[in-house]
Amino acid sequence: MRFVTIFFLQSVLHSASTQAKEINKLFGIFTIAAVLLLLFVSSLIIYICIRFRDKPGNPIPVQIGKNNRIELLMFLFPTVMIAIFLVLTIRTINRVMKPARGQPDVIITGHQWWWEVYYPATGVTAANEIHLPVNRNLLIEFHSADVVHDWWVPEFGNKMDVVPGKNNHIWLNITNAGNYVGACSEFCGAEHAWMRIRVFAEEEPAYQTWLDANKKTASIPSDELAMRGMILFQSASCGSCHRISGTFSKANIGPDLSHIFSRTTMLSGMMPMNEKNLHAWISDPQLVKPDSKMPDFIFSRDSVNAIVHYLTQLK
Amino acid sequence: MIKMLVFTEVFFFLSLIMAYVYMVYYGDTRSTKELQALHISTTSLFTLVLLGSSLTFYIAERNYLKGNIKQLKTWLIITIILGAIFLVGQGNEYYRLINEQITLGASIFGTNFFTLTGFHGFHVFVGLILISILLTMAFLGDFKDKNSTVIQTIGIYWHFVDAVWIVVFTIVYVLPLTLNA
Amino acid sequence: MDETIPAPFQNMLPAKVLNRDQKLLQWISSVDHKQIGIMYLLLSLLFLVIGGGEALLMRTQLAIPNNHFLSPEAYNQIFTMHGTTMVFLVAMPAIFGFGNYMVPLMIGANDMAFPRLNAFSFWITFFGGGLLYFSFLAGGGPDAGWFNYAPLNEYNYSSRQGIDYFAIGLLLSGIGSVGGSINFIVTILNFRAKGMRLNQVPLFVWMIFVNSFLILAAFPCLNAALAMIEMDRQFHAHFFNSASGGSALLWQHLFWLFGHPEVYIAMLPSFGIFSEVFQTFSRKPIFSYAIIASSSVAIALLSFGVWVHHMFAVGLGNTVNSFFAASSMLIAIPTGIKVFSWVATMYGGSIRFSIPMMFAIAFLIQFTFGGLTGVAFAIVPIDWQLTDTYFVVAHFHYMFVGGAVFGLFAGLFYWFPKMTGRMLDEKLGKWFFWLFTIGFNTTFLIQHVLGLVGMPRRVFTYPDLPGYGTMNFISTIGAFMMGIAAIVLVIAIMKSRKNGVVAGKDPWDAVTLEWYCDPSPDRKNFDKIPLVKSRRPLWDLKHPENPDWKSKIN
Repeated sequence: MRFVTIFFLQSVLHSASTQAKEINKLFGIFTIAAVLLLLFVSSLIIYICIRFRDKPGNPIPVQIGKNNRIELLMFLFPTVMIAIFLVLTIRTINRVMKPARGQPDVIITGHQWWWEVYYPATGVTAANEIHLPVNRNLLIEFHSADVVHDWWVPEFGNKMDVVPGKNNHIWLNITNAGNYVGACSEFCGAEHAWMRIRVFAEEEPAYQTWLDANKKTASIPSDELAMRGMILFQSASCGSCHRISGTFSKANIGPDLSHIFSRTTMLSGMMPMNEKNLHAWISDPQLVKPDSKMPDFIFSRDSVNAIVHYLTQLK
Repeated sequence: MIKMLVFTEVFFFLSLIMAYVYMVYYGDTRSTKELQALHISTTSLFTLVLLGSSLTFYIAERNYLKGNIKQLKTWLIITIILGAIFLVGQGNEYYRLINEQITLGASIFGTNFFTLTGFHGFHVFVGLILISILLTMAFLGDFKDKNSTVIQTIGIYWHFVDAVWIVVFTIVYVLPLTLNA
Repeated sequence: MDETIPAPFQNMLPAKVLNRDQKLLQWISSVDHKQIGIMYLLLSLLFLVIGGGEALLMRTQLAIPNNHFLSPEAYNQIFTMHGTTMVFLVAMPAIFGFGNYMVPLMIGANDMAFPRLNAFSFWITFFGGGLLYFSFLAGGGPDAGWFNYAPLNEYNYSSRQGIDYFAIGLLLSGIGSVGGSINFIVTILNFRAKGMRLNQVPLFVWMIFVNSFLILAAFPCLNAALAMIEMDRQFHAHFFNSASGGSALLWQHLFWLFGHPEVYIAMLPSFGIFSEVFQTFSRKPIFSYAIIASSSVAIALLSFGVWVHHMFAVGLGNTVNSFFAASSMLIAIPTGIKVFSWVATMYGGSIRFSIPMMFAIAFLIQFTFGGLTGVAFAIVPIDWQLTDTYFVVAHFHYMFVGGAVFGLFAGLFYWFPKMTGRMLDEKLGKWFFWLFTIGFNTTFLIQHVLGLVGMPRRVFTYPDLPGYGTMNFISTIGAFMMGIAAIVLVIAIMKSRKNGVVAGKDPWDAVTLEWYCDPSPDRKNFDKIPLVKSRRPLWDLKHPENPDWKSKIN
């Protein structure tokens, strides 16, 4: 499908998983049929407009209002096309979406407006940026903490709604390693636009490395400023929303921050992860991402510096 | 015209009934305990009262067509009284349930029960208003002529309201008995 | 020539003159179907401008990445109101407007069956819309999207009152729709001209007839859902809160049980308008009246069996999804057949490229295109890729705008002479057509690509990914072209009312009964009408040597 892909870096037609490949095969067949039909109908209409246009002196056309053979054809043709595509559709549905079996490899929970990620096998908890191994049949389970969201990475194929009270799942077998960008695809409130997804699909060794790094408990502050930051973090109740492993903080109302500075973006893909952005965010969350659930703590600049410094050490 | 109105209201009640059946009987929280709080005996009585009001309305209509205006008025009055008794009975059932802490906001059952029966009761109430208007018109002498279709039209609405109650009563009160048995 | 006096109102006093002294008061208190029809159309036009304005605001915000023209709260209210306005306050009133004006004329009646119910239906629609918009003054409009999914619409996720105004405003307007539909059904069943059988009514009348049943069956599902959400919000019931055992999906089911028939409700009357237009401007009878009529019944019935295709990504399971894939593809068949019928109507005809016909031809191509992307969505795995992206936004705009709204424009240009006695300005009309069509296709064709490259819908902004900015910018330019076109249209209407070319009874040389009465008729439309013997009574009158009822075309 490369020649069709006039598109850019990311696209639905750049299949990066077995599921996407399967879907795009069907998409390709359909597109060809649809384009042919559209060309046929359009050319017929243009031809008719030219050939049968009203000219002065035209006789009144023969007043025919029906033709049984043509009517039959008009009915049979779409019926046959539909029958073919129905068979193909059902076949593809069952190839792409299989019933869940066994323990999920990843459990993704949608929150307003961030993604919580949990790897049951290893107990690793992360947020927003997901690392996945390639060439494995992954069972991904979806929970919702609040409203309906939707998890979608175009190159991976099918999206799946994240519905409160219902555990959905997809099977995903990523074929091409790489960095992928996706987005929440069900309107979920004010900051739906900034609930983006990043998937780092890696070969096994790289994936294991990442897992191991994330299994580790969060780093202990290595200097005084960071120590001050950690104390502020606990005392100013950041811990009541944000979990940091190895500390008292265990909550998941906001993203897990144990390895926050290892992430490449922050605020669910809104901006790059760096000190300046962290600083701006903590100083005035509502200015950066209006309506997000993070309160404005009205910290002094020094306090923000300390907290940011502490966070930068959590790799 | 009234048949079109009945047509559209059928779909409305169908939607409420579908929600009720799904949530009360199939939801994760099967409402068996609350279902047992329902009093089928008294409600059956009031059901008969409502069905009786359909009969009395029919009698009123027949009398109108025969020209017996006095009988028309009498039977309309009886219909209204029977309908009102039904509403009082419903109110009593509501009062009892609320005293047992089963309210609209208490549980799935409460939500669905009060919505479904409540909208039905509201339709009964509107029906009573319509019949009262008919009664007033009868007293004002509007039905001296046998050619009016007004009474028959309101009759169709009133019989529809009763038919809905038969379905609702079966689903809400009778079905739990068969399921538990 | 057989002429009969139309029922009802055979006993009606001549009352020829509409009281034109009291002007506004006369309009407000009118029960005349023509005045009510015009009021509906004006309401629709007003909300078209407002809804279009909302669209322009949205497109301005989306013109460049990471834009700060609108805050997320403002944007979310605006896109919600844009959708709600266009569906409920533009499409529905326009349908009732044209229906009210034309249906009695087309069946040879002097008014609708229930004139006062008619007036009531209009005014409650008007006030329902007013209540919906009042929300902006009362703390903010609804902001959960026009389909208002649960649990986002619950009181704990949407604490402001916008959702309540949405629910109650729509409940009120819905009453108007139901009243209007009952009126149409009774009128069409009982007040046809003598000799006009039900399978001989003009196709626009037939579509309104079928549409009215659809409205009666679909709106209650919405009403039930709206009543339930208000119970949840005001009385803390538990319909949609999954934490307390409710079901978020119940909302989706109820809403789409209404929502899918609603899109056909918006489309069928335009199909009717186009059927009239193709017939008139090809100078041939419509090809296979029977197919077009029966396929609309098929569509109406099937439309209640496809609603889950809006929920393919919700996780209902392969069996359920497969069933609804089948039903959704099935519904493409009667729709496709119509397109072929219209093309066959043109074939062998003598085509006049009047402005209504230009809209009709553009419609054919746009609707085929939109229909094909629709079939793509019936193919579940493709839906899994493309639902909730700009691809679906493009699809439904091709159907709604390229389909239904083009039909309304065709109807406007076609029936303007009947409603006002003057032709709608030809030159301005052509400008309008080209500006709007090119603008429309510019706006939405490129959105298919945006969907394919992964842009989700309902986002107030987007990151600076390759191509996103350029494509969005192009789309915005198209939107502004449509905005300019709308201004041209308003100017055209205002100019033509005063200075348009005066039209007679039958400026288009058409064949249905509405062209028999005077333009912009007074209170009583017809004193006499011909005895109807076929589907084209005026053709029979004008061609007594070759009437339809003698040949086999009936």
